Amino acid sequence: MKKFYLFLLASLLNPLSAFAAADAPIIVCYPGGPVNAKDANAAMGSMLRVVERVGQWPAGSLNSIFTAKADECRTLMDDNNPKFVITSLGIFLEQRDKHHLVPLVQPTIKGRTSEQYRVVTQQGKYGSITDLKGKTLGGTVLDEPDFIGKIVFAGKYKPDTYFQLQPTNQAIRALRSLDKGELDAVMLNEQQYNGLASLNLKAPVEAVFTSEEIPLMGMVADSKLSTTEERTRLGNALAGMCADAEGKKLCELFGVDTFAVVEPSQYDAMVKLWKKGK
Amino acid sequence: MSNQHLLTILALSLVTSTFLNGCATLNKDHVQFSQLSDCPKFTVEKLTAEQAKLGPMTDTHTLACALDFLRNSKDPTLKRSALGSRLALNLAERETDQDSREKLAGEGVGLAEAALAAGGEGDGAVHYFLAANLGLAVRDHPTLALDNLKRLEQEMKKAMELTPDLDSGGPSRLLGTLYSKAPAWPDGIGDRDKGVELLAQAVNKFPNHPLNHLFYAEALLAADDNGAAEKAKAQFSIGEKLLAQGNWGYSKPSWEKEFADLRDEIGDIPSNTSQSAVANNKK
Repeated sequence: MKKFYLFLLASLLNPLSAFAAADAPIIVCYPGGPVNAKDANAAMGSMLRVVERVGQWPAGSLNSIFTAKADECRTLMDDNNPKFVITSLGIFLEQRDKHHLVPLVQPTIKGRTSEQYRVVTQQGKYGSITDLKGKTLGGTVLDEPDFIGKIVFAGKYKPDTYFQLQPTNQAIRALRSLDKGELDAVMLNEQQYNGLASLNLKAPVEAVFTSEEIPLMGMVADSKLSTTEERTRLGNALAGMCADAEGKKLCELFGVDTFAVVEPSQYDAMVKLWKKGK
Repeated sequence: MSNQHLLTILALSLVTSTFLNGCATLNKDHVQFSQLSDCPKFTVEKLTAEQAKLGPMTDTHTLACALDFLRNSKDPTLKRSALGSRLALNLAERETDQDSREKLAGEGVGLAEAALAAGGEGDGAVHYFLAANLGLAVRDHPTLALDNLKRLEQEMKKAMELTPDLDSGGPSRLLGTLYSKAPAWPDGIGDRDKGVELLAQAVNKFPNHPLNHLFYAEALLAADDNGAAEKAKAQFSIGEKLLAQGNWGYSKPSWEKEFADLRDEIGDIPSNTSQSAVANNKK
């Protein structure tokens, strides 16, 4: 549900519009996602228009730009210098220094504020991840190889040289390829891994690698471009959302228990790991 | 970060729908037609005999008259048939007012359900028009759409099984489009590859139907494989040409709108790259 909650965040920007009408757009990045730009565009626009109506802000005062590609996300951030970004952990870590990013809000999903990534293979085919050296690795999470290498693999393996990477925007396609033996391994996030049982794959799969717990990422802010007041106001609004009557429905729909203002220090371990990987 | 979590319009508009529409339900209220006193004299026998002629080429007044006749008929054969649901769909497709369109489509769902209850289970057309009406009724209400995804899939599958060639590959066209647009695994039933496969089948078997090409183009874009943009553009052009050159009766305006909706997106795609995923939502 991670992608869903990120959009949920994107729809809750009304507190911002009072002071941000003329500001740079909010950049919304979902690297690797199977997204139709037209659909995303229409839906984001619709959501923001609703948010404006609900928040009684002038129509069209909120603006955001969406991308499902990591490269485009970087360009958009450089070109627009946004105050707020809804992004992946990988993009946050990579752009943190350049854009003075600080985490603002973090979701809790099924009681957890973190997730684990796994590398799965056909059962019994490979004993461990070291057996996969030089083999094909597919998945939707490979659009950010630095994140995979430095954070998911904690610097132990550099994905683009250790494996033959075969990124896709469809997890189900990667798993079908694995099932047919066309791929040696697939990297899955928590939700994908938990959904495996519903796929009825012919060949059973097993995880040959499980990452450490990795914190979920929500919204981040440029600490130089945004004011403390803006960050506090937006952060508090988001944190109260799941307790709100309408917000509660949204949270339930997206499988989010709650959003909480997050202490940037909760990502310190990730920042450290990222820097260590350089 | 992983991004398997779907961002289709269904998923996204869920939020919009929740705010805008609350917990919407299917509207099955009847649209009241005017000038029914001018209707042709229908009888059960006449309508039964001429039902195949009532379709996209028929003027709206005659379709409305036929539907009104059906509303008041208790004839079991007509009730069991797909005719009422098909008439409602034809009227709904050409209706420009959203409320009336959804009422007509909702009525079409109700008529198909009544046909099934009256013994029409083995008629693929009943399942097909049920699904088509249901799709039309919920398309602007994503919460409702999400609630009905499984049912849409089941009815379309049934139609494919019983009458795959109906409406120039209509069952494949609808099911393929559903798989292309619905939230994908692990969030939902959506499956881009299956969508492309079904729509390719529809195009190959019924290459003269513009919507087969249009929806295939959309599915190709959704799958976003290498070369998808080129293929999608080619399919779009074929469909557009077929639409312009053929006689599609009263269906033409609504189909032209469908093409226009995709034309902007197709036009923005660089011809030698995959689909750009950047979207600016500024009004």
